[in-house]
Amino acid sequence: MDRKLRVGIVGTGGMGQRHAQAWSRTPAIICGFVSRSPDASLALAHQFDTKVYGSLEELLPFVDVIDVCVPTHLHHEVTLAGAQAGVHVICEKPLARTIAEAEEMIAVCDSAGVKLLVAHVVRYFPEYAAAQQSVEAGEIGHPAIIRLNRGTNPPSKPDENWFLDEEKSGGVILDLMVHDFDYARWIGGEIKTVFAKNVRTENPSAEFDHALVILTHENGTISHIEGSWALPAPMFRTAFEISGSIGLIEHHSDQTASIKAYTHSRHQTGAAVPMLQNPLHFNPCTAEIQSFYDHLVYDTPIPVTAEDGLAALKIALAAVQSAKTGLPVQISNLEAIA
Amino acid sequence: MKIGIMSFAHMHAETYIQNLRSIPNVEMIGIADEDLARGEEFSEQFDAHLYPTYQDLLAEADAVIVCSENTRHRPLVEMAAAAGVHVLCEKPLATTAADAEAMMAACRQVGVILMTAFPMRFSAPLQQLKMQLDAGLFGQPYCVSSVNQGRIPVDYRSWFVDPELSGGGALIDHIVHLADIMRWYFDCEVTSVYAQTNNLMYPNGVVNDSRGFEIVYADEVPVETVGLVMLTFENGVFATIDCSWSKPLNYHTWGGLSFEMTTENGVIAADAFSQNLSIHTEKPMAHNLAFWGSDANQAMIEEFVSAIREQREPAVTAQDGKIGLDITLAAYESVRTGMPVKL
Repeated sequence: MDRKLRVGIVGTGGMGQRHAQAWSRTPAIICGFVSRSPDASLALAHQFDTKVYGSLEELLPFVDVIDVCVPTHLHHEVTLAGAQAGVHVICEKPLARTIAEAEEMIAVCDSAGVKLLVAHVVRYFPEYAAAQQSVEAGEIGHPAIIRLNRGTNPPSKPDENWFLDEEKSGGVILDLMVHDFDYARWIGGEIKTVFAKNVRTENPSAEFDHALVILTHENGTISHIEGSWALPAPMFRTAFEISGSIGLIEHHSDQTASIKAYTHSRHQTGAAVPMLQNPLHFNPCTAEIQSFYDHLVYDTPIPVTAEDGLAALKIALAAVQSAKTGLPVQISNLEAIA
Repeated sequence: MKIGIMSFAHMHAETYIQNLRSIPNVEMIGIADEDLARGEEFSEQFDAHLYPTYQDLLAEADAVIVCSENTRHRPLVEMAAAAGVHVLCEKPLATTAADAEAMMAACRQVGVILMTAFPMRFSAPLQQLKMQLDAGLFGQPYCVSSVNQGRIPVDYRSWFVDPELSGGGALIDHIVHLADIMRWYFDCEVTSVYAQTNNLMYPNGVVNDSRGFEIVYADEVPVETVGLVMLTFENGVFATIDCSWSKPLNYHTWGGLSFEMTTENGVIAADAFSQNLSIHTEKPMAHNLAFWGSDANQAMIEEFVSAIREQREPAVTAQDGKIGLDITLAAYESVRTGMPVKL
């Protein structure tokens, strides 16, 4: 490609802003944001020396790739519009809200001859990538049991908190745990059976959600996936444990945080929690966007495909179904799930 | 009060003998073991009198602790009951419901205590959390993610991986502690059990190097070495238990027991074994943990002694042990059928 890659960022929420920051560190040109309320996003556009459009159609003629950072239930519509305009599509995780949507997105991008990339950022977290490399190198032998834990406070939004609308986001199981479903499959292989329970299904009146999922992989490995939106703000924790036939890998973000600030919270009420920080020269989001840039411009390999995104989505939706029915769900019988 | 130990098959006997010796007015009168070599070894190691037979020990004892292999609890408990001797039985109480019921009936008929060794009921951190839960500090409990992992328990004893003697692997070894703690916390019973297991750990067998590289199993281990269980309780709480023997043999500690409970007011993390010193010695890469927390085994055995003295039910009963077994057997059934099993 002789000229610089031109990217448009669809959505100006937290993820759109984070991706813009990462794109600004690549040679790509940010040609604009798409926002439902362009006036409110002028400051953001100004920060990245770019424009803000009120509709996707206005932006599409000017870009090579769109970076889809809108709520999950809109991924399908935006992706199809991009593909039909002949631009590549990068889509935030989860790939889509339903399996049918994800399958159509893959098919449409394929027939339009554009790339569909999915932003499963956990693949770019150095601790997760290092553990995967260790497993792949055979350092712990064959994984027997994998434990993956991800917890944070309930997601908040300045207005219209679509995260808490399960129709739109799929709730904690789809929005948060899809990271770990993808990771479990990456290191432990394809999933056969999913058994899950979550607090909001068992107790609809509960304020917070928290889910526990048992996966059985095709090769016999079993995984325990835990996801929480029940922690006090601001908090984000991850942990994993991979036990193999000849070794064990452990990670707990509470322990690896290199800066822990136990400050007095003079302007807040409620429980004060330490702010954990893990400074890196290239944060995972920057590494991810750089990898997408290199893939689009130089065709370098990327670690995660749209098919991986679809597979993770299937596991998540199987977990949602299992939690509703109280029964294990076989991934091979998933076609029934819309 | 005169108390002895029947069988040193289970390694917990090694701590119990010292717990007994530190209780005032309790005389640790000695041990007996049908494996005479094992009996002699531990008699020497702990400077304890070795009775030639169980009957000789029972003839002089007021109470015994039974530490035989899991499938051999019943004959020793029945022998003790026949001699009118109170029993503290190592967990799991038994490996079949019929054995558990027979043991309970034998003790009930002669009016001796049969207590199940669930020391975690006597863990200071877990007791504190029980009080806080009961006081309503955390509001309604919703779910629990718990782990009771360990190394494969083959140090000195290979029977743990022999299903004829153990009744199973990680499930029968490590479900009961946490299942019992949660029944105690929530004061209600388990209604449904789902479980998945494999034996992918130790695919080339287990070499026990603590005693001259004895090969315990040359091939893969014949029982499940890892397991995940999901329990549902009458109060709607759901809980997973990771009961795996998933810690490598060179791990810096035996394993542990911990959980995180999600409640109306947030998430509470508890660890029964976090009160440790980290000790690094001049041995290369040597790192040991020295536990400085309160001794749950000591408190459990003191409760056994107190229940005998006060002629009352102990805080943990044979019925608690029987229910723990029922939950474990349901987990095995779930593994066979692939479906949740109702209790």
